[in-house]
Amino acid sequence: MTDVYVIGIGMTQFGKHPDRTTASLGAEAVRKAIHDAGIDPRVIQTGYAGHVFQPMVTGQQVLAQVGLAGIPLANVENACSSGATAIRGSYLDILAGVADVSLAFGTEHLTGAFKGAFTPGEDDPEAAVGATMPAVYAMRARRYMEEFGLTREQLARISVKNKRNAALNPLAHFKKDITIDDVLAARPIAEPFGLLDCSPVSDGAAAVVLASGDWVKRHGDPARAVRLAASALRTGEVETAPGSMTFEVLTHKTARDAYEAAGVGPEDVDFAEVHDCFTIAEILRIEGLGLFEQGTYPHAVERGEADIGGRFPVNPSGGLLGKGHPLAATGVAQVVELTKQLRGEAEDRQIEGARVGIAHCRGGKAAGVEGAACTVQILVR
Amino acid sequence: MTTTKTPVSFRPRELVVAEDGTGHLVGSRCPTCGAHYFPTREVCAGCLTEDLETVPLPRRGTLYTYTVVHQSTPAFETPYVLGYVDLEAPVRVMGQIDVDPEEVAIGMALELKIVPWGTDDEGRTVWGYRFGGVS
Repeated sequence: MTDVYVIGIGMTQFGKHPDRTTASLGAEAVRKAIHDAGIDPRVIQTGYAGHVFQPMVTGQQVLAQVGLAGIPLANVENACSSGATAIRGSYLDILAGVADVSLAFGTEHLTGAFKGAFTPGEDDPEAAVGATMPAVYAMRARRYMEEFGLTREQLARISVKNKRNAALNPLAHFKKDITIDDVLAARPIAEPFGLLDCSPVSDGAAAVVLASGDWVKRHGDPARAVRLAASALRTGEVETAPGSMTFEVLTHKTARDAYEAAGVGPEDVDFAEVHDCFTIAEILRIEGLGLFEQGTYPHAVERGEADIGGRFPVNPSGGLLGKGHPLAATGVAQVVELTKQLRGEAEDRQIEGARVGIAHCRGGKAAGVEGAACTVQILVR
Repeated sequence: MTTTKTPVSFRPRELVVAEDGTGHLVGSRCPTCGAHYFPTREVCAGCLTEDLETVPLPRRGTLYTYTVVHQSTPAFETPYVLGYVDLEAPVRVMGQIDVDPEEVAIGMALELKIVPWGTDDEGRTVWGYRFGGVS
């Protein structure tokens, strides 16, 4: 079986872009990825475009702007995992021998499409009684507090850490360090969360170009190519009895698939980019991925172990809390960050000696299902 | 004025309201393995049995977790308490909790209450549900 490599990465500024369109953001990220790869765009054979609240065939609109019309392209919607699912499409095309070079991107002009708190699907029975995404995660936080003694300050520290990392990332939505007191004093959203426990509504796009090992050997730059060793995807299972909301079975199973495909275990991973849509989410993801024992990660954050320069850095890019969360762009931006770190191109955020990175996305909610779509990708230098 | 006596449920597939104002949530029960589901399902996720029974769900349960919501969609006035209640089937159902935010606690016993939810186009009261303290 062939190996798959990331050969080009591109990302727009994340933030509010009132004067841009979904397609223009996507095109900017794709052009950057093509330039970063140093390729003639005509070597790209297939494409996948992730987007959630955007017009139909947004992917084709992007292609038209970058001179890539004609190739097979599919638009992909998997809520917050849309971009990561698009990458998996390119990954599978290369594994299957359908393409030597494939393009995946995620683009979202979210401020133009949405305001306020997200809800599950419109007809969802939980949305009908007042569920919002912050409320669902706030309930998980409350339960985690009850079971493991998590404190409000420990939760706040996750936001402080990620916004500190974001301040070192020129493409991040947030540019300012904050304090624990800032988090505690923020406007309440769903208790225990205030505004700074929640990822922002951001616009942005990110793109990657993937290529087969053979292609990299013949045409690529092996010094800058980073191996995508696994791209796993699972769907949440219907619960046959009330389950735990403090341990993510879906994340755990998706990670198991990814570790198996990559031939590595959690003990081999040096750092992580995880789906911290809310402060509690970073805890649930990291523990679900098997990187820390259940109930221990909040203490590790308190000791600085998850900082850049710590034992196990988490969300060096700033994560969703700091870098921003343009839904479908998020999963692709995580792979952009992993690639930068593993190439040694992460500048002020560089994690020294990192060899193996893991990215986790989780999106969507439906009544009676633990979660909708989950992706785990492993990159190896 | 309305001529029909049957109260209007906000979501008839999930909540049945009787003429006397009592009501119950509607779920599925697997006749093979006994698993319960809310909302209703066509196939059992545990054993793939296809002919699930539609059943009234128990009215009582305990609070698994909760939050006080301060920002929501325009359809809801804030703040409100929202929670997951583990009914005695067992099956977990989300609902608003009619308990003072200062007094709500994980593990507390709750029961289903049928409450006015709004009015329909014909001016009739539409009924929804919340969970409140056991009387």
